[in-house]
Amino acid sequence: MGYAGAVVSDELSYYQQMIDNITEYEVIRLDDNGIVQSWHAGAERLTQYTAEEIIGRPVSVFYPPEEAASGRVEQDLRIARDTGRCESEGWRVRKDGSQFWASTLLTPIHVHGTVVGYVKVSRDLTERREQQLAALGAEQMLEAITDYEVIRLDRDGYVRSWSPGASRLKQYTEEEVLGHHVSMFYAEEDVRDGLAERELATAAREGRFETEGWRVRKDGSRFWANVTLSPIRDSTGELLGYVKVARDLSERREQEQLVQRQRDEILELSTPVIQVWDKILVLPVIGTLDSLRAARLTDGLLERIARDQAEVVILDISGVPAIDTDVAQHLLKTVEAARLMGTASVLSGVRPETAQAIVHLGIELGTLRSRNSLRDALQLALQIVGGTAAEREPVDV
Amino acid sequence: MSDDIPILRLGPNLMVTLQGNLEDTTVEHIERAVTHEVARTRATGLLIDVSGLSIVDSFVARVIARLVAMVRLLGARSTIVGIQPAVAITLVELGVPMSHVRTALNAEQGMALLREPTGR
Repeated sequence: MGYAGAVVSDELSYYQQMIDNITEYEVIRLDDNGIVQSWHAGAERLTQYTAEEIIGRPVSVFYPPEEAASGRVEQDLRIARDTGRCESEGWRVRKDGSQFWASTLLTPIHVHGTVVGYVKVSRDLTERREQQLAALGAEQMLEAITDYEVIRLDRDGYVRSWSPGASRLKQYTEEEVLGHHVSMFYAEEDVRDGLAERELATAAREGRFETEGWRVRKDGSRFWANVTLSPIRDSTGELLGYVKVARDLSERREQEQLVQRQRDEILELSTPVIQVWDKILVLPVIGTLDSLRAARLTDGLLERIARDQAEVVILDISGVPAIDTDVAQHLLKTVEAARLMGTASVLSGVRPETAQAIVHLGIELGTLRSRNSLRDALQLALQIVGGTAAEREPVDV
Repeated sequence: MSDDIPILRLGPNLMVTLQGNLEDTTVEHIERAVTHEVARTRATGLLIDVSGLSIVDSFVARVIARLVAMVRLLGARSTIVGIQPAVAITLVELGVPMSHVRTALNAEQGMALLREPTGR
């Protein structure tokens, strides 16, 4: 500070006092190479360094290492020297390594037309930046969502906002849908049925509504959508509108249907009913019976009985590895259901282990007739069909 | 079901067809009509065709069992015909006791069953 006289020194000390009282800003002096020359409370508050620690060190210590290495500091100083000022915003680093978002103004100090240093004024804008981010967040988030349609509807179901995800899903542009009723995305029959209005009413009443169903794109093609409707209310509870979130589940639905079809086919193949003689059916049960397969077996058999008007059905269980309570109960239920339809049943292929198991399980055999082999069972069946109707009634085994 | 319960006469046997939804009032009509007709014609057998019933639940099953019991008190036998697959499964799943009820696939089989000598 030796470049001016005593009067100037006095004035400078007043300035220094003033600056010391500024705590919201950092106001410091750098020399022409960017070395820190002065320090004060506001600067310490912002970056945590004490005057002893920082005076004499380059201003680049406040910059993130990668930015300091890129020559950013020198560039800013040059701009300030050449143009009279350099304003910038960016991340700066505190003594402890934490970062804050700062707005910085660099202005050159001229003495006799020569730049002898700079004044650096900085302010912490982290909070403002975070507020900005938070405010931007919702909009940006919405823009970033492309797999979902997220739109706003008014209380009557008219579209009030559109999103990139919605465009991608339904092919409409914003201009084509704003102000139109949400039912424009529904299948024709659902529109006639008033489905959209019903769904909105349910959402308003129950606070949320989720559904799956066919929706229509701009080109008329359909897709299987998962839709969630959430009502938006003001502070008094009055309905403002709805947020609608939709997603294309066509692929998942197709896969599910494919799996279901294959499962049906396997079940169909695994429970064949064979007509071996006039009015005599044989159901060879092969493999393990789970409840789904057992139910399918019963349905298939009874339908065949009704169609063929079969009088006797032979249930051959020689291909069943193990009979547990559930399986045995199910077979007996099938026998009883067949009897109610007027058809007699004969069990065949019972293995010694199976016979022991069924009796040990305490299963009520009722009027079940059983034969050791399919041959014997068929013989009994022919006897029943050929004989009087009385033989169809249970006789002693 | 209308108040007119169709009851056909087939030789010594009668055939009644139950249709649609059975309600308390129609059930009373059926019971009155069937018992009176069995007594009047001195029929020895009754064929109950249930293939036209849209629903058979435990209530309907009880109705049928009651009808069978009434007819037996009048000295005639009954056979149920036309139990559909879904109905058969429902009755079994519900555990409705039907072991005393004789069943047949169709009217022809049912008539054959009724023609057999009594005593079982």
